[in-house]
Amino acid sequence: MSVVPPLTQALVLAGKDLRLERRTGEAFLVVAPFGAVALFMVPLAVGADTPLLATLGPALFWVVVLLFGVLVTVRGSATDGPAQRAVLSLVGVTPRVRLAGRAFGNTVLLLGFQAVIAPVALVLYAPEPAGWVWLLPMVPLVAVGLGTLGALADLVSEGLAGRAVLGPLLVAPITVPLLLGATGVLDAARYGRPAWPWLVLVVTVDLAAALLAAWCARHLEDQS
Amino acid sequence: MVARLDAVRVDRHRITILRDLSLAIAVGEVVGVLGANGSGKSTLLEVLATLIRPTSGTVELFGRRLDAAGRRAVRPRIGLLGHTAALYDRLTLAENLRLVARLIGQPAERADAVLAEVGLERAADRLAVACSQGMRRRADLARVLLTRPGLVLLDEVHAGLDPDAVPLVDDVVRTVAGRDGAACVLVSHEPDRLAGLCDRLVRVRSGRVEVEEPT
Amino acid sequence: MSTTDPAAPVRATLRAVFGRGLPAFAALAVAVALTAALASPPDRLQGELVRLMYVHVPAAWTAFLAYGVTLVAGLVWLWRRAAVWDRLAAASAEAGVFFTGLAIAMGAVWGRPTWGVWWTWDARLVTTALLFFVYLGYLALRRAVDDPVTRARRSAVFGVVAFAMVPLVHFSVLWWRTLHQPPSLLRPAAPAIGGGMLTALLLSVLAFTALFVLIVRTRMRLTAANAALDVAELTGAEPVAGDAVTAPRREATR
Repeated sequence: MSVVPPLTQALVLAGKDLRLERRTGEAFLVVAPFGAVALFMVPLAVGADTPLLATLGPALFWVVVLLFGVLVTVRGSATDGPAQRAVLSLVGVTPRVRLAGRAFGNTVLLLGFQAVIAPVALVLYAPEPAGWVWLLPMVPLVAVGLGTLGALADLVSEGLAGRAVLGPLLVAPITVPLLLGATGVLDAARYGRPAWPWLVLVVTVDLAAALLAAWCARHLEDQS
Repeated sequence: MVARLDAVRVDRHRITILRDLSLAIAVGEVVGVLGANGSGKSTLLEVLATLIRPTSGTVELFGRRLDAAGRRAVRPRIGLLGHTAALYDRLTLAENLRLVARLIGQPAERADAVLAEVGLERAADRLAVACSQGMRRRADLARVLLTRPGLVLLDEVHAGLDPDAVPLVDDVVRTVAGRDGAACVLVSHEPDRLAGLCDRLVRVRSGRVEVEEPT
Repeated sequence: MSTTDPAAPVRATLRAVFGRGLPAFAALAVAVALTAALASPPDRLQGELVRLMYVHVPAAWTAFLAYGVTLVAGLVWLWRRAAVWDRLAAASAEAGVFFTGLAIAMGAVWGRPTWGVWWTWDARLVTTALLFFVYLGYLALRRAVDDPVTRARRSAVFGVVAFAMVPLVHFSVLWWRTLHQPPSLLRPAAPAIGGGMLTALLLSVLAFTALFVLIVRTRMRLTAANAALDVAELTGAEPVAGDAVTAPRREATR
């Protein structure tokens, strides 16, 4: 048996996750419409105040991306049952590789999720265009950070009852820096302040999440 | 020696499942494990598969102690067929096998070839969820042919297999046992299934290997 | 008198659970702190309300101490794998959530008359509230896992990951506040704290810390007793799992 590099294994696993998503449509046909409904309901509750909605728009987009994006990361279609976990272990997939594969898959799906949600937010809220260029780096950076933290929470809550609710509770509070960074760049651009510090913040969060994931993966190997 | 278990005890969820269990499996040996429902047969297989770490006692596989490095080294040499087939429901049989092939650095054609060997080439593009229990079992057997393990662990492998497929199990078992340095452990509650196939039968009762019956 | 006292076993149990010296010390510390808090002078601006500080500040301090203990205990568990560290982490997290809740509630009660609001988006407040949620998640995770080893491992990992993110959370919230309009009107009076008040505050912190140690130790002892009970039921010649399954005895099968 030839030795497969861990990165290749992780990419193979991510490909498997994406294929499963294509078959089940959980992220795009369930979570994304749910997020769109949330964006739709806020104006109904707040009132059809166009300038107010334009101000709220970017913030609500990011809140929906983070809260509903967590649901993408704990989607049931990506769950490995005990039998699958056993096979993966026995073909030499380490927990770190499994976590990396899940994080890669999550990141791609979250990029797609943002691409679906963004036009909805744009149409419903007509936000000011100021600072939109900052979204170009921010969108993938948030996808990476949330994808990694989501993969971690997914492994921590793997096989537990109530995982679909527990996972989001574990992730949401620690994604606050991502939320502040993502909304901060737009605020900074609007008030003519430098936006790059927020970018640095989000990059730091991504790095911290990746390092933590790499450190803790081996502790999550399910052995009594 | 392929595997050696010494005074193994396993507690799970605050219940003792195996107690003071010792078992040695020699190269080329086919061992049948008998026992009533819930006697700990499957747990024994999971211990042999390095998936459960014993509460106490020692396990040696292929002459290695199972510390972190040892586990990593021996795992690719173990093939486990559990109660339920380890297939992703929403992948086709071919995709399931190709996934394993790519993870161990084998070409996709090998995956297709082993599917043909177990008689599933015409069902290769069917989703696993749409396959019968017996088909899933055959696909799992195909995985064992693909990964070519040195220690094959089969849990109730005959369950759901039609008469046509039973010789397939015999064939897989003989192929493995004939390979250099390999051995095979079969678990069943039906002695008749194992009698012709195994060199030796052991019975798990009260958490230990109680009776050894040469065949 | 040699008649057996019916309350004796109860007292013995209470002593075994709570201990003797620590409860006495904690009670003394609380009494002293309470006296000092009541005897300290009222604040020039806030009047009697300032006495809430003697609960709010020590509660917040204890909460942070508790989370620190949980983090360290989790790390030591991952290193040593001894159940006692998991018990310490769990007990400390429970106490931490309680004291965080207390600090936030007292803060709200204090904030309403002094600042006119129950809640303000001060960085410290936001971080504290987020810690509260993080450790509610931690406790929810613990409840969801049956197997003690799996529970210890997963909660230790989550505890470390979550705690490691806290500085980033705090920093980002701090930054977020300074870039928005500063809450100058909502700031409490300058912390030029008088001597009497400082003494009372330090005594309160000591009392809360003693209470925290008592709570954690008691909780650990109870958990350990529970585990010991399970182990006592396990060792010896009791049946293994498989012995629970016997041959069916329906007439038809005979």
